[in-house]
Amino acid sequence: MALSAGQPDALREELLVRAPATARRPRHSATLRQEAWLAYGLLTPTLLVIVFLVAYPFASAIYLSLQDKMVGAPGRFVALDNYLDLLRDEVFLRTAWNSVLYTAVAIALKFVLGLTMALVLDQERRVNNFFRTLLFVPWAVPVVIVALNWRWIFDDLSGLLNNFLITFHLTSDIISWLSDPRLAMGCVIAVVVWSGTPFYSMTFLAGLQAIPKELYEAAEIDGASVVQQFFFVTVPRLRTIFLTTVMLSTIWTATNLQFVLILTRGGPASRTEIFPHLAYTTALGARRLGMGAAVSLVFFPLLVVLIVVLTRRMLRQADE
Amino acid sequence: MPRTRSGSRRLLKWIGNVLLVLLLVWTLVPFYWMIVTSLKPDREIYGFEATLYPHQPTLAGYARVFTTTPFLKYVRNSAIIAGANTLASLLFGCLGAYALARLRFPGRALIARGLVVSYLVPPALLFIPLFAVLSVLRLIDTHQGLILTYFSFSVPFSTWLLMGYFHSVPLELEEAALVDGCGRLGTLFRIILPMSLPALAVVAFFAFTQSWNEFLYANVFVNSVEVRTITTGLTLFIVEDVFFWGPMMGAAFLSALPPLVVYLIFQRWVVKGLTLGAVKG
Repeated sequence: MALSAGQPDALREELLVRAPATARRPRHSATLRQEAWLAYGLLTPTLLVIVFLVAYPFASAIYLSLQDKMVGAPGRFVALDNYLDLLRDEVFLRTAWNSVLYTAVAIALKFVLGLTMALVLDQERRVNNFFRTLLFVPWAVPVVIVALNWRWIFDDLSGLLNNFLITFHLTSDIISWLSDPRLAMGCVIAVVVWSGTPFYSMTFLAGLQAIPKELYEAAEIDGASVVQQFFFVTVPRLRTIFLTTVMLSTIWTATNLQFVLILTRGGPASRTEIFPHLAYTTALGARRLGMGAAVSLVFFPLLVVLIVVLTRRMLRQADE
Repeated sequence: MPRTRSGSRRLLKWIGNVLLVLLLVWTLVPFYWMIVTSLKPDREIYGFEATLYPHQPTLAGYARVFTTTPFLKYVRNSAIIAGANTLASLLFGCLGAYALARLRFPGRALIARGLVVSYLVPPALLFIPLFAVLSVLRLIDTHQGLILTYFSFSVPFSTWLLMGYFHSVPLELEEAALVDGCGRLGTLFRIILPMSLPALAVVAFFAFTQSWNEFLYANVFVNSVEVRTITTGLTLFIVEDVFFWGPMMGAAFLSALPPLVVYLIFQRWVVKGLTLGAVKG
């Protein structure tokens, strides 16, 4: 692109603006091919990660689940035997029910609490930024630390909860929060909710703040009450965010085994056993890799639906 | 009519304030218990004599963390792994995102789709086969093994987030640079990256905190003290039901600090990253 200094500025500018298009036209396919090679070159690390660390392991999980492979020993192909065995297993059936209950209740509570938090933080108030920072802090704390900290709060003899209840004479008996079959699941869910609520409030608050104030003013002039404004202005505007947040969170909540692993190890009597943790203990505790893979894949069909819908949404969002 | 309206407004304000206080208590009490426990002498921690606040605050618990446990070794390992992963995510993310945002090639849409799916596939599904893969590659119990497997969540996410951001950088500047003889990579490093600092900060934040906080892979793929990271190291403080909660809470508090500090620094940008559809919760 040689531009001699003598050319008038107008022409020079015109050449610059149109240059990429005009320069490309004569060797269209050659440039395109070059561009494609450059693109593949730049994407090589990312593609290697997707293929070898996600796609291949996933495919091999399916294959593993069709074998009776143990850790350190070759496996034999057993077709669907692992899955059929699971369906006859009492612990498995209890786990299925627990997983549904755990996920549904945790998501519902996180949603309600997260929305409350977002609405409260959206009100006008001095030093709101400071309160927001404080309320979102659990999100930044590693889940392991959250779980260990709560296990200590729930401790029978010395934990904060019993300590508090006894000091203020609210109970005279020691409550075994994590080893009482009726209480354990509730406690696990409470911890999951504590840790996961800020994610909901963050996304909801971002959505709330994007709603133009004029909409509320208009609704007010039309005589809409605060409750009506919430249901007819706020909720419709947040619907997309609600859906995306709940779907993302369902994937993460349903497959997170850290809380159960640290708080209860699935006990007492499998009352808090959920799929990811059962897969973990089967594969690594009992060293049955094939069966463990089968357990982890049982909940996958449900996740597929979420993943497909979410992928479509996120790609559409990126195009806008 | 106007009076009732302003009345209901005031009522709403008060309900909001009460809820705010309750939410703050719910959120902050666990932190209170963690920090207070770490500052108590043992006799105030255990049994019915346990106190709700430290009567004789002491740093002895912290001293025990540093003198009797491999805490510093765990921290070092976490720092190495999270640091390496952050750098690699930034580099791979920038290169891949530039290709997806600016270049024309067959398979672009497919690769974009692959990124999102990879990001959404949960680790609970991958840890069993990855364990088999790492065993074959003899990467069990190595830093490299963990760094490599952490790529599976950090690289797709970084690439995706940066791709979205690069799309929003105006084309005109770049075209001018291209015409001036700045190559493709030249425009990436001289024009786009300097304009994308907030996005790079967000990517670095997520890559670092996710690697620092990761537990499942670290727990399954590593056994030796020499490689163990802080998250799995902490669980070893529970030795066959003999707890020493004072030092444990001290160590827990210290290891939560790095992600907390970066959160406080980056929080303005983090929410933006979240709305791009990010991060576990």
